Amino acid sequence: METKVLTKDFGLDHLYRIGVYLEQGGYRAVKKALTEWKPEQVIDEVKKASLRGRGGAGFPAGLKWSFVPQKTDKPKYLCVNADEGEPGTFKDRSIMAHDPHLLIEGIIIAAYAVGIHTAYIYIRGEYELIARRLEGAIGEAYAKGYLGKNILGIGFDLELYVHRGAGAYICGEETGLLESLEGKRGNPRLKPPFPASVGLFQSPTVINNVETLANVPFIILNGAGWFLERGSPKDGGTRIFGVSGAVNKPGIYELPVGTSLREIIFTHAGGLKPGRALKAVIPGGMSCPIFKADEVDVKMDCDCVAAAGSMLGSGAVIVIDDRTPILDVLSKVAKFYAHESCGQCTPCRLGTSWIHKIVKRMAAGKGRADDVETLVRLSTNIKGRTLCPLGDAAALPVLAIARKFKAELENTMKGNA
Amino acid sequence: MAKIFLDGKPVEVAEGTTVFKAAQQAGIAIPHFCYHPAFVPEGSCRLCLVEIEGSPKLELSCSTVVREGMKVSTQSPTVREARRGVLEFILAEHPLDCPICDKAGECKLQDYYQDYGLTESVFREFKEKREKKVRIGDKLILDRERCVLCTRCVRFLAEITKTHELGLFERGIHAEIGGYENEPVRNGYSGNLVDLCPVGAITDTDFRFKTRPWFLTKGESICPLCSRGCNIYIDYHPGFPRVPGSAKVYRIRPRTNDAVNGPWICDHGRYGFIDLQQKNRCQTLVWNKGERTAEWSWDKVLITIGERVKALRENGKTNRISLILTTWLTNEELFLIKKIFKDGLGVRNVFFADPAPGPEDGFLLRSERTPNRRGAREMGFDLKAPDLNALVPDTDILFIFGPHFAGISHDGAWKPALEKIPVKILVTSHLNELASTADFVLPAAFLAEKNGTLTNADGRVQKIAAIARACFDIRPESQILLDLAREIRLDDSYFGALSAPEAVHHELVKEIPFFGALP
Ligand SMILES: Cc1cc2nc3c(=O)[nH]c(=O)nc-3n(C[C@H](O)[C@H](O)[C@H](O)COP(=O)(O)O)c2cc1C
Ligand code: SF4
Ligand code: SF4
Ligand code: FES
Repeated sequence: METKVLTKDFGLDHLYRIGVYLEQGGYRAVKKALTEWKPEQVIDEVKKASLRGRGGAGFPAGLKWSFVPQKTDKPKYLCVNADEGEPGTFKDRSIMAHDPHLLIEGIIIAAYAVGIHTAYIYIRGEYELIARRLEGAIGEAYAKGYLGKNILGIGFDLELYVHRGAGAYICGEETGLLESLEGKRGNPRLKPPFPASVGLFQSPTVINNVETLANVPFIILNGAGWFLERGSPKDGGTRIFGVSGAVNKPGIYELPVGTSLREIIFTHAGGLKPGRALKAVIPGGMSCPIFKADEVDVKMDCDCVAAAGSMLGSGAVIVIDDRTPILDVLSKVAKFYAHESCGQCTPCRLGTSWIHKIVKRMAAGKGRADDVETLVRLSTNIKGRTLCPLGDAAALPVLAIARKFKAELENTMKGNA
Repeated sequence: MAKIFLDGKPVEVAEGTTVFKAAQQAGIAIPHFCYHPAFVPEGSCRLCLVEIEGSPKLELSCSTVVREGMKVSTQSPTVREARRGVLEFILAEHPLDCPICDKAGECKLQDYYQDYGLTESVFREFKEKREKKVRIGDKLILDRERCVLCTRCVRFLAEITKTHELGLFERGIHAEIGGYENEPVRNGYSGNLVDLCPVGAITDTDFRFKTRPWFLTKGESICPLCSRGCNIYIDYHPGFPRVPGSAKVYRIRPRTNDAVNGPWICDHGRYGFIDLQQKNRCQTLVWNKGERTAEWSWDKVLITIGERVKALRENGKTNRISLILTTWLTNEELFLIKKIFKDGLGVRNVFFADPAPGPEDGFLLRSERTPNRRGAREMGFDLKAPDLNALVPDTDILFIFGPHFAGISHDGAWKPALEKIPVKILVTSHLNELASTADFVLPAAFLAEKNGTLTNADGRVQKIAAIARACFDIRPESQILLDLAREIRLDDSYFGALSAPEAVHHELVKEIPFFGALP
């Protein structure tokens, strides 16, 4: 079975131009959904397909859409999360750069399903060229009547805008994104209320990741059954795994959800360099707890990775070999979250910085015998007690490294002493 | 109503109540920095965590709404450990300069450390250095090392004054409170930030380094600076027993009353009060005899004034007594004036000299800048300003209460006019040029130094009490009035029974039931 779905046509020249896209059968899914299906049918099909969010939390997309109230006197919004800030993640950019119309198609169908007439793509600031490409594609889609007023003559309107972020990881967190989109400081909001009822401009809002939406046209064209066949029963389709680190062939690999982590690393990404051994893997982006070399026989779907004690996250596989001191990994993790904490809530603001200060001291050769223990205690005090999930994202990897590599860390410090 | 269980005890609370408020109603205090009843919960300090049965994580009591049957632990070991963890984070970076911090003694961080911390620090790193003396307003200084980033200050300026002078800048450990383009906080309500700040991060230059909160006594009173009648605390040093008049007011704070001022007061009242109470006070009893000015005893002066009044009375000319009043006077004092002068002596020439009305700010501050004009109106007084032409030819004895006549009357025209009146008696808490023209100057109590009631613009009758006397030889006007009544033997049985202000109030309500509405 051909496993590539989203990335199948990425090799085509000028796929990002609507002409080429239409030649490949582009916008057929939009036509089918808008002219043949009722909005509820779209939601049902996406629910049946078990399409889970590709942004990090793995929340079922169809279910999320169904939380938005049908009847409301407020406008509803769709926000496409293209902030792609999680270290190790580089998949959304490939979709937007190669196949922007696929994303636009997904956006139109999602908007139609939920009854939304305004959508925003919130794209990370560094993706300047991609943002321009998106705007070009959006222009083309308007010109062909896939966006704007009375799409396909069925009386459905949709305006789509690109909004560029200004360089904060926290603006990828969905409510931080909403604040930022409203022109404010990107501080996450206290939940509840959830964005489905009170989101952008105080109105019901759907927030989905780029890859999540890019899957929607295929579900419409091929049906939920087809989609499920490609993945796990509770987690359908394929995922674009971004493999980086100590492998021979780093890059993006679109594989069925549920492919084993070992297979991804050793079969698809070409294994490790000669003479090197696998030491650890971060399975879903830096915020996910680390696996040791003997933990990689795990099926990469949301539930299996969770059962193994980590998260599938954004599907960013970071491979670490035996030449990398674990303290280096820990330093990167600690520095990143201390730098990216918005500073709003106490445990995250002060805890991430404290952890970073300890790790910096350890890296400078001034570690103390009780440092690892303190790291465990501090990250435990952050975990589950912060306003937004960034606190967990910062605490869990530190906790995992400190626990699983306690001996190595302590040895490093003894060596220093 | 919803029934919930707080630490095992069943309690009934209104639907929609938060766990925090439910606990508060049941007398359980939950530590908090960011929560404040006047604002929407923000959930950022993470101190108010509680355990809710069935919840995998600890939940915020400040924002979680009760559900029927909910079982909440506010003091379980897990909860205490979590709060201790949050405090440990704050204390790690805190400067711990309590010995020189104005908030020490009433600081929430100190209190919670007592309740939850009392642990040794394991912080071995360098603390962040931050600015400790940022001028953020005319009287406000921000210490960024002490700030716990609860953003109460930011939200007050966003939600209450809507002036948005302060905001949150930078992120992570570098996050800090600051102003935009360094514009100062200047909105007429800036002093509230000092009360709102749970720690000593925002301090008041009027109070900074002057005293310690534990030396102060808290008196309940009403702000005299406008007709809103905001409820206040007067924090004063009671003084030393052997040093008369050594009591000193250090600060004024709002006393929450949702029907009047909520939890706020304006800067005009807050900072104006202390000036009024301490500056230009009239402290000595004076009898001006031409060139010679002499100090006298109260008894002697009252006898002398009584004799003048009695002389007019014997000639049936008490209608040649005129009054200039002020609405700094309490309801009870105005009532005594009405009983003695209007009803008892048939005085008809009654004027009011009050400070000029000021601009209203649409929030608390009203244009009437005295606390009791409504009370005077309800008493049946016509609040007309002094008319010199009506006054001078008809007056043999003029009683002036309060200092304001000098300020309002016609570019000093009052001076030659007054000289034509044979006897002028000034009863005042404050000194100005009027004193040199008066024959008798009687030093009176200022509002916070006497007992009685005031009626605010909305008709609310509110109590004030004698606290914090700044001067020695002063008497409340009610006492002066009653002494005078006794001197001139006016209805002894009636006035003789009125020595206590409560008794006066009782009589007042009997005659004018409006004033019965004591809260
Ligand atoms: C700190 C933080 C950063 C995040 N960054 C991103 C991001 O860059 N892109 C993204 O799609 N989701 C990100 N998320 C996840 C979003 O909050 C949200 O769950 C997601 O966009 C929902 O879309 P999905 O259901 O389609 O996955 C982040 C979450 C957190 C807590
Ligand atoms: S957890 Fe961190 S990033 Fe999230 S709100 Fe708190 S301080 Fe901000
Ligand atoms: S200055 Fe005070 S009120 Fe403002 S955020 Fe800091 S601690 Fe809170
Ligand atoms: S009081 Fe609830 S989080 Fe601060």
